[in-house]
Amino acid sequence: MSDLETLKDLLFGTEKQVLDSISERVESRELRSADVADILPEAIHASHRSGGELIKALREPVGACLQQEIRDDPQTYGDALYPVMGPAIRKYIMHALRTFTQQINEALEQSLTPKGLSWRVQAWRAGVPFGEFVVQKSLLYRVEQAYLISRENGLLVGHAQHEAARIKDSDAVSAMFTAIQDFVKESFSPDRTGRLESADMGEFTLWAVHGPHALLVCVIRGVPPRSLRADLSAILERIHFRYGDAIRTYSGDTASVPEVEEELTACLRLEARQDTGTANKGVSWPLLIILILVVGAFGYFAVTGWLQAQQIARLNAALTDTPGLYITDIYRDRQSVLVRGLRDPLAPTVSAVAAANGLSHVEIVADMQAFQSLDPTLLAQRAANRFGSPEGVSFAVEGSRLIVSGAAPVDWQEEVALAYRTLAGLDDIEFRMSPDERAEQAAAAPGVDLGQLDAIVRQLDGRAFYFASGTTLTAQSADALTAYADQLKAAAADLALLGRGLNLTATGFTDPVGAPEVNYALAQQRAEAIASALVELGWDGAIIARANPDRATDVSQVDPSLRRAIVELESVETETTQ
Amino acid sequence: MTVVTSKVCIVGDFAVGKTSVVERFVNSQFSDKYLTTIGVKVDTKEIDLPQRGVQQKLILWDVAGTDRFGDTEFAYLRGASGYVFVADGTRPLTMGTATSLRDRAFEHYGVKPAVLLVNKHDLTGAWDVSEQRLKGLQAQFGSVFVTSAKTGAHVDDALTHLAELIVDRAIADQQ
Repeated sequence: MSDLETLKDLLFGTEKQVLDSISERVESRELRSADVADILPEAIHASHRSGGELIKALREPVGACLQQEIRDDPQTYGDALYPVMGPAIRKYIMHALRTFTQQINEALEQSLTPKGLSWRVQAWRAGVPFGEFVVQKSLLYRVEQAYLISRENGLLVGHAQHEAARIKDSDAVSAMFTAIQDFVKESFSPDRTGRLESADMGEFTLWAVHGPHALLVCVIRGVPPRSLRADLSAILERIHFRYGDAIRTYSGDTASVPEVEEELTACLRLEARQDTGTANKGVSWPLLIILILVVGAFGYFAVTGWLQAQQIARLNAALTDTPGLYITDIYRDRQSVLVRGLRDPLAPTVSAVAAANGLSHVEIVADMQAFQSLDPTLLAQRAANRFGSPEGVSFAVEGSRLIVSGAAPVDWQEEVALAYRTLAGLDDIEFRMSPDERAEQAAAAPGVDLGQLDAIVRQLDGRAFYFASGTTLTAQSADALTAYADQLKAAAADLALLGRGLNLTATGFTDPVGAPEVNYALAQQRAEAIASALVELGWDGAIIARANPDRATDVSQVDPSLRRAIVELESVETETTQ
Repeated sequence: MTVVTSKVCIVGDFAVGKTSVVERFVNSQFSDKYLTTIGVKVDTKEIDLPQRGVQQKLILWDVAGTDRFGDTEFAYLRGASGYVFVADGTRPLTMGTATSLRDRAFEHYGVKPAVLLVNKHDLTGAWDVSEQRLKGLQAQFGSVFVTSAKTGAHVDDALTHLAELIVDRAIADQQ
């Protein structure tokens, strides 16, 4: 060692050692790595807490690293992500299924079968959508066996089964399933990525759910719902999560996968049973009663509807057959029958027609517009109304011809002949009159004015003569009786020329004062007094005297004008004159 | 006793007696009727190996006879813990086939415990395997058994020996 070195040791001995140590750590790659490794976690924490610079710095290289790794070894990352991807994908699918279920729900909204209603209540109580509940109840299944099979060698990792299920050798089944799968894959999957996922055997269905290292094969009795596959996937994911490496390297030692049977037993709890509680109960009385009520109501409405249809048909026929009614629409509106159409004012009302046909109990609402019917019957009636109908004259219509029959004055006939065209629907007229008697009479008695004679007779008919008391006429009536007798005789003489005569009837009246018997006798006497007086005055025709048969009841009424006798005339053929 | 399950593939040329060997081993039966195996047939057999403290359950994949493996046959061999190669002692060519199949299997899936059964020893008149040939096969396969599925001679011995080889191999792998 030189003096200089010795001097350095003396002066900077301790510092030199420190410097040497630092130099050695800096120059040694291993020591530097160890130092960095020692403080790296703390440094990362500190950097992360102080801001986002570390993340920014690492983002690009770490991202590139991951991309490269995934590209180079996708299987490893797929296996690692399997337990995570399953739930995520299932969650998404569940969402889609829920939407689908809602659509089913809407489609089933109208299904109101008793079972449907019962299920609806049960779904409501269980808090699940109705459609989902229907699917659950419609599919009956039970997972009877579950095999967990190594994908590497086909060895059975675990097996669970219901007590009732019969199985010869689960290892052989496992191997055979693997062999079949290999065969199918090699035979039908060109790229050998295909998987045997289900197989049907009679009432059993085999479902295989594939994981990275093992597949779960379930023997299911019945028809499993699609949702069951998601449940089985969840179980397989749990098994992978718990036994990942043990399954991957499984070589037949069951001790390496402890309690895997318990995991598989979860599969056996997946089942949907038929509700046997309601089976074979026999007749459901509430349902039967509802059925009877429904059938009864249906029958009632059917019969009622038929009867109402018959009523409407009868009414329609009656209205259609009635002249002057034209029906455009007739239908039932709730409790009443609505009738629309046209009605001639001369035609009977709709209600009258209904009543005449025994349908008075039907409530009818008629909405009829007025019109003029050209029906012959109504045309004849309209003509009668228009021209009046003298006694013995009748109207009829044939086609558009008005036919007038009977006996009528010529002047009336002339009036009709001039005016009949004012009635719509008539363009011709025919008189079918009997011989005009008056004209014959006029010819027989040329000096007699028939019209005047009629007027005189009408004037003389019903003439009253008043009594002062007893059978004594008042002076005025006595004078009137004298003149009356003269007129009577003159008229009778004219009538005689025509071969006719007059029958007279004198009727006596009294006031109500006095005994009825006495009054009746007095009335008779008064009639006879008038008859006698007329005879005395020269009347030689027939005359009847009689007492008024009606007896007054109001005795307080004292009216002198009631003391009278009335003479009534009747023109008769001479042969019948009495 | 530990229960261990192992997959064992029975391979060999056509009509060398693979299925008969399995039937003899599993069910102690033999039938002269020849039935061609299509694809693969699976049987199981449990063997107690008390010296090793193991109960070995062999899953026997009786693969259809072939003189060369196709894709499907290779798929059947996947994950096998051991092989039983079977040859017909009355047909020397089948021994060559067994050797060829062994080489292909080992090449594809690695070397596994294996035994060779030279079968049909009961057909003494037609037997066509010299001692020298047997020694040559012994050198190739390690374990060669002259068997008769018909009489059952050495069939159980061969399969038991293979089971022991498999267990020993597993123990060695674990160590």
